[in-house]
Amino acid sequence: MGVPIRYNLRSLFQRRTTTAMTVLSIAFVVLVFIGVSSLAAGISEAFAASGDPANLLVLRDGARSETESAFDLATARGIAAMPGVERTADDRPLASGEMIVVQIFEREDGSESNVTVRGVGPMAQTVRPDLEIVEGRDFVSGTGEIIVGSDLAQRFRGLRLGEEVRIGLLDFRVVGIFEAGGGNAEAEIWGALEDVGNTFRRENAVSSMRLRTSSAAAMAELERQVESDQRWRVVAQPETQYYAEQTSANTMQFRILGTLLAVLMGFGACFAAANTMYAAIERRGREIGTLRALGFRRPAILLAFLLEAAFLGLLGGIVGCILALPLNGISAGTTNFISFSEITFQLTTTPAVLISGLLVALATGIVGGLPPAIAAARRPITGLLRGS
Amino acid sequence: MIRLAWRNLTRNKLRTLLTVASVALALFVLAVLVALVQAIESTEGTVANRVVVRHAVSLTFDLPEAFGGRLTRLDHVDAVTPLSWFGGVYIDQRPENFFPRFASDPATLFDVFGEYSLPEAEREAWTQDRSGFIAGRALAEKYDWAIGERITIQGDIYPVDLELTLRGIFTHPDLETQERQLFFHRRYLEESLGNPGRVGTYWLLLDAPESVPAVVRGAEAMFESSDAPVRAETEEAFALSFLEMLGNLRLLIGSIGLAIVISILFITANTMAMAARDRTREVAVLRTLGFRRGQVTGLVLAEAVAVGVFGAVCGVGLAVLAIGGLREGMGEVFPAFAALEASPAALGLALAIGAGVGLLSGLAPALGAARIDIVDGLRRVG
Repeated sequence: MGVPIRYNLRSLFQRRTTTAMTVLSIAFVVLVFIGVSSLAAGISEAFAASGDPANLLVLRDGARSETESAFDLATARGIAAMPGVERTADDRPLASGEMIVVQIFEREDGSESNVTVRGVGPMAQTVRPDLEIVEGRDFVSGTGEIIVGSDLAQRFRGLRLGEEVRIGLLDFRVVGIFEAGGGNAEAEIWGALEDVGNTFRRENAVSSMRLRTSSAAAMAELERQVESDQRWRVVAQPETQYYAEQTSANTMQFRILGTLLAVLMGFGACFAAANTMYAAIERRGREIGTLRALGFRRPAILLAFLLEAAFLGLLGGIVGCILALPLNGISAGTTNFISFSEITFQLTTTPAVLISGLLVALATGIVGGLPPAIAAARRPITGLLRGS
Repeated sequence: MIRLAWRNLTRNKLRTLLTVASVALALFVLAVLVALVQAIESTEGTVANRVVVRHAVSLTFDLPEAFGGRLTRLDHVDAVTPLSWFGGVYIDQRPENFFPRFASDPATLFDVFGEYSLPEAEREAWTQDRSGFIAGRALAEKYDWAIGERITIQGDIYPVDLELTLRGIFTHPDLETQERQLFFHRRYLEESLGNPGRVGTYWLLLDAPESVPAVVRGAEAMFESSDAPVRAETEEAFALSFLEMLGNLRLLIGSIGLAIVISILFITANTMAMAARDRTREVAVLRTLGFRRGQVTGLVLAEAVAVGVFGAVCGVGLAVLAIGGLREGMGEVFPAFAALEASPAALGLALAIGAGVGLLSGLAPALGAARIDIVDGLRRVG
């Protein structure tokens, strides 16, 4: 069994050009597949990093995103006072009422997009332990100061530390840059709730509330109480669930596109692999005959040639993965059409994405190599030995 | 010569077939991708002398009702109509049940959107019924709605649910996508909300496309120091602003296309190299028979180009069939697919790439074949 396998694998290196060409054509198919998959994976990761499992998010009944939601401050205060909400050491509720406004900003390349401006109170950072100011300092309420997410500061004009920018009707100054563990907030502008309300003429209202809870059971109970209370028309859901729903809506098209492309292009690469293997068999007729004459049986020949094809595919997969590695970390931005605002994310070649790329390549080699391998095993010894 | 090239192609039928098939598949994918990008970028149906006025901050802000009358008084403005994006949910949140729903003013809608046609009687009936709505023909057919049909749309942007009755079915002369919309009375929405007096966007019809710059300046200056400064732009610019929001996704799709082209280049180049190598001896025989180097080069090139063009023709043919299918099958799930068209540009590009790839992949083997030393070639075995 060892001899045919070793023979076949070494044959691959004997015909370097053909092998290299086939490997490269499979590699590019894998590259396309990984490219689209890492796009979807990047968006998923950005959303997965958003949302804290201890937070319950409250929106107006019927609203699908924070952008659409709004309720008055009295409602917000009432909800914050509910018993299930955790409290600080000095007995204030861990509840963050926030106002979300969407404004057009210019990207570095001059194109425009809608950016989330979030007006927040003192609890906003407490309910988001991941948030960290990495440059400058926090804003001071009432002074026209803002802090900007790190992704946004890099990709949009006028949002770097120290720059002045018109938001709504007033000018604001960037005094800090923050990171949020790769989450969605990194594509947001934050200012004081009163300042944001002021500049957009939206006083005495918030868009959403984040309520901190002590356990999953406490969260479920609070969710039930908030929704069943007759005083207000709101819905509550775990913050993580809110972001997960936006993920699936935003990544579905890429997953479909990626799979479709991989299947179609994979067929093309199968044909290429089949071609290479057929040529190999034709040229190596006498060698196959010799192996058979030495006593190796048909199944052994079939398996060896199939292994050769699989190995060819695997090589292509490995090269494709290496070609795809620079894609990791490329930052991209697009619009989340549910919240109608910019989201930024990094293309992410996760291990799962790379492994599925390798599997696509392996399958390409095996499917493409099976018919030629069968053909090789079927040929009669006498003909093989006599042929050129 | 041509017969020789043809003979060479048909000698190893399986190999030629496999190569043609892989080229065809790759170009099929490429043609569909290009058509998809074109569909996404399409601004078909926009009119050069139509201007959209919206809040300068972003589309999530609305404008006071009173702006409409003031905009009408601008020079060169023939008609003004308000449109508010209602959003909402019909049946459920699945994308196939999503279509645009606008709060509109029946009295002025058709002054600005003259391309929509609605029978006079239906228009009258809609105007009379405050909770009536009109739907495009494609939309009405999809849900099998007949005049008098009652539907409910749940609000998401607006905290109200709409109970609507179908009063008319409008048509668009050439764009089916324009018929996948719904219009209802904005007064109905206003009343449900307690008459806040707000409008999402104003659509202006101008006397001529040349008036656009003056009207844009006039409209923006008119409200510059108000609580709601506005942005005015042509309908086309408005449509393109949605495209800009997609960000660098377009660039990424472009890169995918490039990777596909490179991969088919490798596939065909590989086959051509194999084919040429197998025939070293024959080339030597041809040369002995008196064929010149140039002729031998031409022979191999002709074969390579033929494979590329064959593949491209098959791929493009498949694409034409598939695009129709995708439009019907996926158009309702992804709006971009609804505008999918087998454009000559996309198909032409695929054909050109097929021929180009064939030529390029044949180049090295062809030159190699021409350089063969006759004596060596004749001596070579297999």
